[in-house]
Amino acid sequence: MHELLLYGQVPSARHDQVLKILAGVAAMQPRRVLERHIIYRPTREPEEPGAHLSRRGGTQNVAGKPVKQSAVKDLFYQQLVQKLSNEDFGAGTGHSQQDGRTLSALVKPGEEPKWSLEFQDLPDTGDRGVSIRQTSTTHLVSGDPHAWMVAAGPHHFVSEYYIEGHRFVHGNVVILLHRVLHEPGVRSLETAPKVDMPAFTALQPLDPSGAYILEAKIRLHDFKDTPVLDNGVKELLAFQEQMKGCVELALPDRLSLDSRVKWKPPPVLPVQTRPRKV
Amino acid sequence: MSVDNPTANVTLRAWPAPAKEALGKEDIIPQIIQLTTERGHLRGITEKTLLEDIEAGKDVPEDVMEDVETADKKEEPSLKARIEELQRAKVEMFQKLEFASFHAGNAMNLVNLCLSRDPARNLETAYTPMFKLTNVPRGSFGIDKGKTLDESERLEDVEIREGLKERRRLAMKGSRMEALDWATDSLLKAAVELETQGKKEAKYWEEILSISEKGWPLHRTRKEARNAPYAVRYGLPEASNHFKARGLAPLRMNKDGGIILDPNLRLKPKTLRVRISDNGQITGTSHLPSQGDLDDLAIEQSIQLSRDSLFEEELFHEMSLESRQLLGYGTEYRSSVIHIAVQGLRSPVEGRKILIDCIDRDGQLQLREELSQDWLAQNIAEALRLLLAHEHRMRLHRRSQIPPPMSQNKRQQSSPPLLRTLLAMFSHMDAVDSLHAYMCATAKTLMSAGLDVTLETSREASWVKLTEVIKEAHKKDLPATDQLLLAFTRPFDGLASISLPSSSGTQTERITIATRTYIGQPVFGSEHKLTLSPTLVEVLALEADQQRQFKFASTAEAISYLDWILALDIAHVYLPKEHPGNSVIRSEEPHITFQSSGSSKMTIKEDDLSIELKSAVLKATAYTNTHLNTGATVESFTWHGSGGQPSLKDKVKSWIG
Repeated sequence: MHELLLYGQVPSARHDQVLKILAGVAAMQPRRVLERHIIYRPTREPEEPGAHLSRRGGTQNVAGKPVKQSAVKDLFYQQLVQKLSNEDFGAGTGHSQQDGRTLSALVKPGEEPKWSLEFQDLPDTGDRGVSIRQTSTTHLVSGDPHAWMVAAGPHHFVSEYYIEGHRFVHGNVVILLHRVLHEPGVRSLETAPKVDMPAFTALQPLDPSGAYILEAKIRLHDFKDTPVLDNGVKELLAFQEQMKGCVELALPDRLSLDSRVKWKPPPVLPVQTRPRKV
Repeated sequence: MSVDNPTANVTLRAWPAPAKEALGKEDIIPQIIQLTTERGHLRGITEKTLLEDIEAGKDVPEDVMEDVETADKKEEPSLKARIEELQRAKVEMFQKLEFASFHAGNAMNLVNLCLSRDPARNLETAYTPMFKLTNVPRGSFGIDKGKTLDESERLEDVEIREGLKERRRLAMKGSRMEALDWATDSLLKAAVELETQGKKEAKYWEEILSISEKGWPLHRTRKEARNAPYAVRYGLPEASNHFKARGLAPLRMNKDGGIILDPNLRLKPKTLRVRISDNGQITGTSHLPSQGDLDDLAIEQSIQLSRDSLFEEELFHEMSLESRQLLGYGTEYRSSVIHIAVQGLRSPVEGRKILIDCIDRDGQLQLREELSQDWLAQNIAEALRLLLAHEHRMRLHRRSQIPPPMSQNKRQQSSPPLLRTLLAMFSHMDAVDSLHAYMCATAKTLMSAGLDVTLETSREASWVKLTEVIKEAHKKDLPATDQLLLAFTRPFDGLASISLPSSSGTQTERITIATRTYIGQPVFGSEHKLTLSPTLVEVLALEADQQRQFKFASTAEAISYLDWILALDIAHVYLPKEHPGNSVIRSEEPHITFQSSGSSKMTIKEDDLSIELKSAVLKATAYTNTHLNTGATVESFTWHGSGGQPSLKDKVKSWIG
C-alpha cells in the first residue's frame, strides 16, 4: 500500500477555527483520535554503505560466474500504534515495569483491533507535488505486542509518544489534525513501553508552542496503477488548493521522513580512556 | 558676501574656466576661432607680442576686444562705422517690428478670445502660437461697452444703481432660499428612502433570523444573485445527489423586504401513501395530517413542508428503483404505483397487496374514512420513513470511516434496502409465525398424550437482545437508533427448538429449526434449517460423516418432515423404552411391533403399532394378527391437544398389555 501525503502547520491559537473549517469542508463532525506510538529499532547494526561492493581490486581467481551482489538491505525503525480512548489514561504511577503485567493486544470478536504494527518507507523520489511513500500496517489481535516486537526482528525499544487530535474524511482524503504529546523527563529512562498509561494531563506537547500538524493523506492500493495514482494526486492537490488561505499544505522534506537506521562508523578505539558521551 | 559688511565692494566676474590639461578637437577649433577674432591671425601671435601686451597691461579680454576694435576703427574708420551704423539700424528696426507684431498679436488674441464666446466661430487658427499653448478656455473673456454704472455720477444712474443693488440682493436672497428649499427636499427624500430601505432590510433580516432560529442552515448564494444574498438549505444533507441539489432555495427580497417564496418552496407537498388491498379492495390507507392552505403558511412552515415533501419523494424514488430488482418477489411498478404481493401478515385473505404511491399531501383530505387495516398501512409507511432516515445516517457513517485504499475498482453505491427489508420482514414473519404456531400446536397435542416435550421459540435472534444492544450502544460510534435499525437490514434469524418426546430428564435432546431470511444471496427469501439430535441420527442410521442438517425452502416441507421425525421418535425410541425387551423395529416408517408369547406356545403374538402425526393431530393405530387386549383387531386413538385425554403410554398398555 502507498500513501500520498501533504503536511501543514496550524498554530495553537487557530486550532479551533481550523477544526470548524475542516468540519465544514468535510461535512462531518470531527472524530477524536488518541494514539500511542512506540518506536522500535532493529538490534542488528546496519552494514556500512557500499560494503558489499568489492573494493579490493582484481583477484587472481579464474573468472567464474560473477557472484551476485545483493544490495545492502536497509534497516528501518518501526512503530507499534495503539488506539486509545480517554479512559485508557490512568493516574499513572510512572513506573514502566509493573509486576509481571504485560501489554495485551487481545480483542473480542467483533471489535476493531487496537494494536497495529506500522512500517513506513522512505518517501519516493518522484516529484508529483505530493509525498509518496510505501507503508504497511499489520493488525495485532492477541498476545503481548511488546514481547512480540522484541522477539521479531529482534528489535529494541526506543521511545514512545502520544498523538492527540481529530480526524476527518473528505472523499478519499483522510485529514488528521493532531499534535504529538510526550511525557516529559522520563524518555531516556524507559526501557519498555508503559503498561499503565500516565494521566493525560501529565503529557506535554512535543512542540512547546502547542502547534498542530495537519496531515492530508490518501491511501493507494497500488502505486504502479498510473490512472489511480493520478486521480489520487489530483484529489490531494485539489484539497491543497481548497485549503489555500486557511492552512498552507506543503510537500514535506523527503529526508526528514527518513525511517532508515543510519549507519555509524564503528568508533575508533580511543588511545586514552575517555568518558563516553551519552 | 558677508552679512556683516554689506557695503563691501563686490567684484562680479566670470568664474575662471577650469584649466584643461589637454584640449579636445572640438574644443580647440572654437578656441582658435576665438583667438582669431581677439588677436588676429595666428601668425601675428608670438611670444614677443604677447609679452608686449602683458607689459602694456592689456591682459583683460574686454580690453583686448576694444583694443582690437579701436585698432580696426583707426585702420578703417569710415567703412567700419558705416557697417556698424547699418547694423544698429537693422537691430533697432527688428526690435520695433518684433514689438509691433507682439502687440498686434496680443490685440488679435484679445479680440479672438472675446469672439470665442460664439461657438459657431472657429478661431483656433487665429491665435498666436504662444497664446495657443496656454490653452485659455473658450469664452472665458467677455467684453462690455459703455461706462459702468458705478462710475457714473448722474442721478438716474445712481437710482438705477440703487435699484440694481436691491434687485441683486433680492435675487441673492431668493436663490439662496430656493437652494435651501431644494436641499431640504432632497434631504427629506433621502431620509424617506433611508427609512424605507432600513425597514426593508430590517424586515428581511427579521425573517432570515426567524428562519435561522428555527434551525435551518442558511448560507450565502454563490453567484451574485439579485435580491437574494442568502439561501436556505432545507434538503437533508445525506440525500442522494438528485434530491440534495433540489434542497436549496434562495431567499429573495420583495418590495417591502419580505421574503419571496422560491418556486421550489411553492411546489405542492407530496406524501407517500401506503394502501392495503385485499382482493382488489382497499382496506387500509396511511395518512399524514394536512397542513391547510399553502398561501397562509409562514415561511418556516413552508420550508419544513418542502423538506418533508422532498424526503417522501426521495423515499418513493428509491423504492421505485428498488422495485425493478424485486420482480421475482412479486413486486411490480405499474402506472406510478408500486404493487407488492405479500403472503401471511395475518391476513384473512390470500390476495393481499400493498400499494405504495406518491400523492399530493392535500389531495387525500377528502373521503377519509376509518378502514380496518389503517394501522398496518400507517406502520408500513412509518417503517419505510425510518429506514430511509436510517440510510441517511448510515451514509454519513460510511463516509466518516477511513476509506479503503484507492484502487481501480470503484466503490459502488448500493441502493438502500427499503422494500427488501419490508419484504424480508413479511417473509420472515410469515415463515416463522406459521412454523412456530404449528410447533406450538404439536407440542400441546404431544403433552396431552402424556409425552413430555418442551418448546422454545424466538422470532429473531437480535430482537431478543435488543435491550442489551441499547445498553451497549454508547460504546460504538453509531447512535443507538441506528444500531437498532441495523438489525433489520441484516438477515433475519429465527430459532425454534423442540425437545424429543423420547428424551426426558436432565439430558434433553432437541430438534432445532433455524429460519433464515434474506432477500438476496444465498437464500433469496426464507429458509428453514433443521438440525437433528444425535439419537435421531442413530435412529435414521445415518453415517457419522453425513450432515445432520436439512434445508427446506418452504414451511410446509419443514412441517411435514418435522411430523415424520417426531412420529418416528415416538415409535422407535420412546415406545421401546417403555416396553423393553419385546419390541421390534422392522420398518423405516414409524411402526413398531410388539412381540409376546401368545396363548398357545407356538404362536407368537405380534402387535403392530403405527404412529401418525399430522396437522397437530397424533394418531396411534394398533393392529394385530390375532386380537388386542380389547378384543378388536384394529384399535386407534387420536389426540387433538385437548386436556383430559388418556396418555399414549396407558393407551398402548391397554391395547397390548
